[in-house]
Amino acid sequence: MSWLDERFGLSSVTQFLKNKLIPMHKHTIWSYTGSAILLFFVIQVLTGFILIFYYRPILEEANASVARIMTEVPLGWILRSVHSWSATFMIALLFVHLLSIWINKAYRRPRELTWMTGVMLFICSLLFGFTGYLLPWDDLSFSATKVGTDIPRAIPIVGEWVTKLLRGGEDVTGDTLTRFFGIHVCILPIFLLVLLAVHVYLIQKLGMSIPLESEKSKKKLKEIPFWPNFVYREAVLWLILFGVCLTVAIFFPPSLEKAADLMAPAPEGIKPEWYFLFLFQTLKIFPARLLFISGETAAVLLIFLGIVLFFFLPVIDNKPEERKGKIVRASAYLFILYALILTVWSLL
Amino acid sequence: MKLKHSLFSRRQFLNGLIGGWVGAIMAALVYPIVRFIFPSYKEPDEVILLYADYKDILPNSSKIFPWGSKPGILKKNDDGSLMAFVGVCTHLDCNVEYQPEKRKFFCACHDGWYDEFGTNISGPPPKPLRRLFISIEGEDLIIKKEGVE
Repeated sequence: MSWLDERFGLSSVTQFLKNKLIPMHKHTIWSYTGSAILLFFVIQVLTGFILIFYYRPILEEANASVARIMTEVPLGWILRSVHSWSATFMIALLFVHLLSIWINKAYRRPRELTWMTGVMLFICSLLFGFTGYLLPWDDLSFSATKVGTDIPRAIPIVGEWVTKLLRGGEDVTGDTLTRFFGIHVCILPIFLLVLLAVHVYLIQKLGMSIPLESEKSKKKLKEIPFWPNFVYREAVLWLILFGVCLTVAIFFPPSLEKAADLMAPAPEGIKPEWYFLFLFQTLKIFPARLLFISGETAAVLLIFLGIVLFFFLPVIDNKPEERKGKIVRASAYLFILYALILTVWSLL
Repeated sequence: MKLKHSLFSRRQFLNGLIGGWVGAIMAALVYPIVRFIFPSYKEPDEVILLYADYKDILPNSSKIFPWGSKPGILKKNDDGSLMAFVGVCTHLDCNVEYQPEKRKFFCACHDGWYDEFGTNISGPPPKPLRRLFISIEGEDLIIKKEGVE
């Protein structure tokens, strides 16, 4: 160890982790979501590595290769199921993570960049979900991708190009499949890892945020060491979550419909992954025309504006204790309500 | 003639030189990459099918033919005349199907309906289905897009 330490200087890192303190307060529970997200990301990287051994990202073979993973490859079905379910768990935890930070205003100065890299990581994760959804190449995922990649077309000027970039042409074809595979397994992981490194570095550099009330009252909060006390507590949660994910994955493996046919009519009941449902429903409820632009364009521009506002939240919420801060917090609750209602609506 | 005062320092000159050089290299690299990732796919101007394959469509029914990477729908009307459409919904690009019992085209993605002549009648579609033009020359069934001679 000392031989390595002499060369890498690792003791400064371990020393840092030993000295790192986690403040204990009534919102500490939300601090557990970060590492749980990381847990599911790691599970997906590992299961993803293994799935690549059998998956074939070309039009003629994609669906059959997934069918082979599900039926022939020893324990292939459970690896695919865990890969798919851990994505669901990861996205669900991301929502909780971001919303808790929004509501508790943990992005306050000087943690603006931590928030912004976090939002970018969130978008990366959604893109992972979107590209991964197409890979089994069944008729449901094919039609959902046709719709999903057609939506950017509604953006003025650049929209047409975005659709072409995503599809690798005018239509969703075998080129789209191969392109999505490349984005899913190569481009997004690199982006995500770089963003993650910056995100985690900033968290270490700036320390944990403490709630606004405690900051104001200047009362000293109880603190526990990150290593080992906090990590052990996190480990308990990891074990529980992994157990739940595995159980769900065994009892509810993802389905595989028949292979997509470019010429076949769309099947009934196409829908995107659950975390896109509220956006999907938003697109649906807009009227065909709104003043001088099409309803679709209006909806897409509104969603885009929402993402921009979300990204710049710490800048907008610069007076967290005043009236504006209260409005920002209330808007988080409104968002939750909106997303829940539209998700349920889309399932009716 | 020698200037009394230089317009910029040696450092500025070199920075500009290197900056411009790097910029030019980047542009030279980016252009082919952009060209590469945006393929220049063109919709076909026309497709030529064997008429014999499509002659036996019954009145009020349809058959699919490949229109580039999209489905095309060839439909026979009650009077025996043929109509051809690009078989994708004008809303969000899903493939549509002709339902003879209802005499309508249907898009399952968002419940869009078109009448038997491809006019949007219900649901989100903003425009009618795109019509294609048919001509029969000898044994060939030629399907063209609008405005192609």
